[in-house]
Amino acid sequence: MSGIQVQGLAKRFGARTAVEGLTFDVRPGEVFGLLGPNGAGKTTTVRMLTGLLQPSEGEATVWGCSARTQGEQLRRAVGLLTEQPGLYDRLSARENLRFFMKLHELDEAVAWPRAQAYLERFGLAGRESDACGSFSKGMRQKLAIVRTLVHDPKVIFLDEPTSGLDPESARTVRDAVEELAAEGRTIVLCSHNLAEVERLCSRVAIIQGRLLALAPLGELRRAGHALDIRVDGDAGRFLPTLAALPFAPNVMHEGGRLKVMLGDDTQAPEVLACLVGAGARVHSAVPSHRPLEEVYLELIRQGRA
Amino acid sequence: MAFRPQRALAVFWKDFLDLRKNVGLLLSMAALPLVFILVPIGVVWTYAARPDDPNLRVMAQYYDRELPLGANAAVFLIDRTLTDWFGMFLVMPVFVPILISSQSVAGEKERRTLEPLLASPVTAAELVAGKSLASLVPAVAISWLAFALFCVGVDIVAWPLVKGPLMPNTLWTFGILVLAPLFAFFGNGVAVLISARVSEARTAQQLSALVVLPLVGLVGGQVAGWLTAGMGYYALQGAVVLLLDMVLLVASIRLLDRERLISRWG
Repeated sequence: MSGIQVQGLAKRFGARTAVEGLTFDVRPGEVFGLLGPNGAGKTTTVRMLTGLLQPSEGEATVWGCSARTQGEQLRRAVGLLTEQPGLYDRLSARENLRFFMKLHELDEAVAWPRAQAYLERFGLAGRESDACGSFSKGMRQKLAIVRTLVHDPKVIFLDEPTSGLDPESARTVRDAVEELAAEGRTIVLCSHNLAEVERLCSRVAIIQGRLLALAPLGELRRAGHALDIRVDGDAGRFLPTLAALPFAPNVMHEGGRLKVMLGDDTQAPEVLACLVGAGARVHSAVPSHRPLEEVYLELIRQGRA
Repeated sequence: MAFRPQRALAVFWKDFLDLRKNVGLLLSMAALPLVFILVPIGVVWTYAARPDDPNLRVMAQYYDRELPLGANAAVFLIDRTLTDWFGMFLVMPVFVPILISSQSVAGEKERRTLEPLLASPVTAAELVAGKSLASLVPAVAISWLAFALFCVGVDIVAWPLVKGPLMPNTLWTFGILVLAPLFAFFGNGVAVLISARVSEARTAQQLSALVVLPLVGLVGGQVAGWLTAGMGYYALQGAVVLLLDMVLLVASIRLLDRERLISRWG
């Protein structure tokens, strides 16, 4: 069975539990978001799924390889982009890549053209002979991505892949992620950049030591409703009025716009009545979905509670 | 998990390449042999240049009260210097791998290259083998090169007195061919072990370097006349170090365990 299957996964370091009770699966061709605040256990989870750490409980299968018993085969099948690029500064880009080709026992005649194609794509062509120590942060990140892909992995774990990249490079990386998924690879994306997650991922898991939510992105956003309202003048003056409502909705505002988070659709008339009662001249009120950021923050708050 | 020599060689190749480009480390590695070659050559030259100095006989009699009247004190002292200095020379094959291995193991943690490396299929045994080779090969090569230069230097300065080659003698040849690699393995094993437990290459170097102190102490004992060095003495040292090497090898493979390294340093 390909993709990733995780069942009751837990990891303890002595008396401390990093994560527990994780159950999810990721399909081939899917870009899956693994979200959570710092220290939530994302890195530990990824390390278990890449054969770097042994699970304390549960089972995980990655591209048909058990994370418990088939670490070496598993590491052959996966590519891991770590949070830090982790390049050898004194070696050239070519030497860095060749080293990982050798570790994966690849035929360089096949692997090097693939690496070159990625280097070209990420704007690093012509810099193969330069020492990595002379690269900018963004170039190092891009080279680390090429290193992650050089052995043609079936499952790819990306930790903050666009960190430190300029907007153009970030777009190139996002396009590459979409293409890799379209080729049938399984991709797990760990990122605090929720806009990027919204663009790339079909499903997300939000964890904080345990699984807080696991759902398709659209479903997660639909889990709460919102109302986009345009009023005359500064919308901020209506915040105290809205806060006094019995269901005390979360409200974001900018200029004459308000985004009011609702528990359900029935709260919308009460919000509008309240605003009109407070003297607001309402231009429009459009139902919408809550932004992922709002859903994420609420789930994390609930998880902490 | 099968041991794949190609992967161990890849680690060796990478570390060796990195070493070649590390000018600071290369200079440190070159400074040590220079001292170990020049100091004894200078001492031998001092004895050979003034063989009739009556103080030499006094010095020689400190080591051998029954030195025959007809014996040449300068030749005796040169022979004694060469025998005792061999113990000091062994510091070099211990120390050079400490310089290299501390950089290559603790350096992976410092540079945050450890996690991508451990996420590859390489095993702990392959990692130990590759990193050890990358430190042993230069250490033994430097020791052998330094030995060759040492032989030439000693023979040049001693020739006018002894009218023939003094070096290489049996003790030094045995020592350089057999003991130097064993001692190099020892230095490497200690450095790998300590590097696996500390976070910085510099700390690893400083702690690992402490293992040369017993060696220096033994040489001090020889110079003070408390210990008499010879073939048997150095062979015994070699046997002890061989045993330590085996213990260190097993411990290194255990300590370079992926889970242990990642959970502590990843």
